[in-house]
Amino acid sequence: MSTADPQQRPPTSFPGDGPSGPRASFGRRLVAYLIDITIIGILSGIVYAISKPLSNVAGFLVYLVYFTLFDGSARGQTIGMMALGIRVIDFRGGGPIGFGRGFIRWIGRVVSTIPCFLGYFWALWDKEKQGWHDKIATTVVVPVSAYPIDKS
Amino acid sequence: MTRLRRALVSRPVPAVEAIQLDGSELRLTGAALIAGGAALQLSPVHVPILCPLRALTGIPCPLCGMTTSVEATVRLDLEGAAAANPAGIVLVAAAITILVLRPSVIRLPAPVPYLALAAMWLYELHRFSIL
Repeated sequence: MSTADPQQRPPTSFPGDGPSGPRASFGRRLVAYLIDITIIGILSGIVYAISKPLSNVAGFLVYLVYFTLFDGSARGQTIGMMALGIRVIDFRGGGPIGFGRGFIRWIGRVVSTIPCFLGYFWALWDKEKQGWHDKIATTVVVPVSAYPIDKS
Repeated sequence: MTRLRRALVSRPVPAVEAIQLDGSELRLTGAALIAGGAALQLSPVHVPILCPLRALTGIPCPLCGMTTSVEATVRLDLEGAAAANPAGIVLVAAAITILVLRPSVIRLPAPVPYLALAAMWLYELHRFSIL
């Protein structure tokens, strides 16, 4: 079995109350995010030092490219997510989301960040454990153990 | 975690009592926080991270200055950390305590995070001369 469809997962032990399939815990997502922003911080510092005229735009571009490429990749994992064994999948089909939706999810990340990260904290109480960026891009973050990466 | 979730789901959720946090996840978060603060010192220049809220409205949120504060605390620049957001010092101290004492569960009275965020927000609004 490769990437499973969350809709077709067997029901959880609390029907109607929990998410429709296994979800990555908030703690793991938080640690993955801390790793990612640390890497982005260092990369932006390097890019900024090289291209001073671009000023703050450099940091913003690193932020954009990093999440669009990694979220949209076939693995659906940023470096932080690889370290924590979690990945982003399409909520309906269960597969990778592609770079287009990776970019949409990045826009969602910006939106989620604006009210003091409320969109990120949303995953704490959301039934499907989705942040706003997940809802905007129709994605869920799941443990790799339950939704293995398709090697083909 | 599943046991915790079952315990929370099988009975009516209490109104506002206590927030339970899993010890192993807290240790992981604490380690990532300190390692991230240390790794950020590798950056050749400090890039002002553009918070969209502050860029758009000029209003800081309660978490404003936290990256700077954690990074400065790890560098033992407590003065710089306190200037950015004193909560960063508290957070790093809490992370070290959790890593040393290894509690299995931490229970916080529910109002604590809200009061902390309110205090942080007042500090940041004052720092940016809005209050």
